[in-house]
Amino acid sequence: MLKMQDVSKVYRTDLIETYALREFSLEVSAGEFVAITGPSGSGKTTFLNVAGLLENFETGSYRIDGTDVRGLSDDQRSRLRNERIGFIFQSFNLIPDLNIYDNVDVPLRYRRLSTRERHERIGSALDLVGLSSRMKHMPSQLSGGQQQRVAIARAIAGDPAFLLADEPTGNLDSLMARQVMELLEQINELGTTILLVTHDPELARRAQRNVHLVDGQISDFRTYEPRAAPDAGLAHA
Amino acid sequence: MSLSVRPILSALMRNRTGAVLVAMQVAIALAVLVNALYIVVQRIEKMQRPLGIDVDNIFVVQASGFTDRYDQTSSMREDIDYLRSLPGVVAASPSNGIPLSGSGSATTLTAHPGVHSTDGFNYYEVDEQGLDALGVRLVAGRNFRHGDIEPSRAKNDASSFVSNVILSRATALRLFGQDDPLGKAVYDDLGQSATVVGIVDPVIGAWVGDRHPDWVMFMSRLPSGRYGAVRYLVRTRPGARDAAMQQAESHLSRSNPDRVITFVRTLNYFRDLSYLGDRSMGIYLLTVTLLMVAVTCLGIFALATFNVTTRTRQIGTRRAVGARRADIVQYFLVENGLITTAGVVGGCALALATGYWLSIQYELPRLNLYFLVGGVLLLWGIGQLAALQPARRAATVPPSVATRNV
Repeated sequence: MLKMQDVSKVYRTDLIETYALREFSLEVSAGEFVAITGPSGSGKTTFLNVAGLLENFETGSYRIDGTDVRGLSDDQRSRLRNERIGFIFQSFNLIPDLNIYDNVDVPLRYRRLSTRERHERIGSALDLVGLSSRMKHMPSQLSGGQQQRVAIARAIAGDPAFLLADEPTGNLDSLMARQVMELLEQINELGTTILLVTHDPELARRAQRNVHLVDGQISDFRTYEPRAAPDAGLAHA
Repeated sequence: MSLSVRPILSALMRNRTGAVLVAMQVAIALAVLVNALYIVVQRIEKMQRPLGIDVDNIFVVQASGFTDRYDQTSSMREDIDYLRSLPGVVAASPSNGIPLSGSGSATTLTAHPGVHSTDGFNYYEVDEQGLDALGVRLVAGRNFRHGDIEPSRAKNDASSFVSNVILSRATALRLFGQDDPLGKAVYDDLGQSATVVGIVDPVIGAWVGDRHPDWVMFMSRLPSGRYGAVRYLVRTRPGARDAAMQQAESHLSRSNPDRVITFVRTLNYFRDLSYLGDRSMGIYLLTVTLLMVAVTCLGIFALATFNVTTRTRQIGTRRAVGARRADIVQYFLVENGLITTAGVVGGCALALATGYWLSIQYELPRLNLYFLVGGVLLLWGIGQLAALQPARRAATVPPSVATRNV
C-alpha cells in the first residue's frame, strides 16, 4: 500500500543543511495501524508531509499502491491526496466560516462528485463520528473533541485508502483524546489503514506497530499484540 | 464547477463587513463611471459634430475705427479688396459674427407674419463671398450675388430686414418642416420679410453651447460694425493660411491710421477656445473617474490580499485535502466575483438614479443603457483582474502549511 525506500528530505539554508529524513524506509500494508513516535525534531511531521504528498523529497522512492509518486505533477498529487489519503490535523483545521456539513463536503467537492453522492457520504461520515445531528452547527459551536471528530468525518468521507493523523489528540483533554482514539481504532477495524504521529507512548501502544524516529531515521520498530475490541459504542462529547 | 457558489457565499456572509464596503465602493464607482463616461462621450460628440466650415484654412481679422475720420464703408471695401488679392486667398467677406467664437448676433424668425416665436437664430451678415469665405456647402437654391448685397444698416437701426437670406437646413426644417423653403418668405420680429434663396448644410453658428447651434441664417448685407468693429472672414487654400495672415496683419495695421487691427487669428483659435470648457470637463471627469476606478481596484485588491493572508492555513488545508492550484484561484475569483456582482447590481440602481437626477437637474439626455451594460462589464472585469494576483498568490500556498502548528 505504502512503500518508502531510502527517502531523504533535506531543508537547506545558506549556511546549513538539515536532514529531516535520512534514507528512511518504511512499508505499510493495507489495514495496518502504525504509530510514528519520536522526540521533537525527529522528523515525524516531515514524514507525514512526505507520506501525504504535502511535500516533495530529495532522494529515494515512494510508492502508493504501486504508483511512484515522484514523477507526479502538482495536479496529480492533489488528486491522489483527494482520492487516496485522509488527513487529520492536530488543530483540526476546520474552516471556521463553513458549517459542519460544508466542512465535510470540502474534499468531496474537489472530487467533483454528484450532489447526491456527496450528501450520502457526508451523512454516513457524520453518522460514524456521531455528529449527524450537528450538521448545521458552526465549528465554533462545538467542543474540541467534536471538532476533531468532524475533521475525522471529513477525512473518511472520501473513503481514503489510508489516514494520516498528525497528533490528533494533541489539543484535547484525556477524555476527548480517548474518544478520538477509539474512533480511529473503529475506523481502522473497518479496513482503513492509519498512520498516527504522536508524542504519547500510551496512544502509540494502542497501534499495531510503532515506528520510532530519531534524527530522521528509524531507531526502533515495535510490534504490539492485537488490541481488544473497544468498549461498546462510542462515547460522544 | 468544483466550487459551487453556495458555500462561498455563506462563508462570505459570515465575514461581510469588508465585502459590503468593497461592494459599496464598486457601486459608487459604477455610478460615477457610467455617468461620467456618458457625459464625456456627449462632449466628444459635441466637439466632433460636423461644422460645415473649412475651419483649418480660415482666419479672422477684426478692425476697429477710433477717429472721427474713420469711414467704415470705404475702409471695409479697401480691406476686403486687399484681402482678396492676397496669394492663396480663396474668398473673403466682412461678417458681423465669427463662427464658433461665442461672438455673433441672433434674431427671432417665423415663417408667418405676426406669429410670435422665441426661437433664436444665429445670423451672419455677409457679402457675396460669405459662403465661400466659410467654405459652407450650398445644397439648394443659389448663393448671394453682388447685386443682392445691401449696405450696412445704420447703427442701432433694427427697422429693416433684408431682401434675401440663405438658411441652414436645420433652420429651414424648423420654420417650414418638410416643405420646400426656396422662394418662401421668413419674417423677423417686426414682421418684415426676406426671401429664402438658398439652403446650406451643414453649418454652425457662433455659440457651440447652444441647444441648436445649427439654426443659422445668412443675410445679404454688409455688417453694421456695431461697437465700431468690423470683422473679415478669410479662407485660403490649404497651406496658405499662415502666410496670408502675416501679410494681412502687416499690411492692414499700417494701411489706415484711423483704425486699429484688434486681432488676426485663425478660426482654429476660436474653436479651441469655445471647446476648452468641454475638453477640460472631459479630462477632469475622465481623471476623476479613472482615479475612482483605480481606488476601487485597490480596495478589491486589498480585500482579496487580506483574505488570502488571513486564510493561509485554510488554503493549505484545502490543498491538503485535494484542491488543485486552479481550485484555489477559482475560489478567490468566485468570492470576488460575488462581491463585485453585488456591487454592480447596486451600482446599476445608483447609476440610473444619478443619471435621472442629472437629466432633470442639468437638462442632459437620459443615461444610455448601453453605457450601463458596458460599465458593468468593464468594472466587473477590472474587479476580477484586481483579485487575480492575490488569488494566484493564494494558489502558491503549499499544502504542508496545513500541518504547521503556529
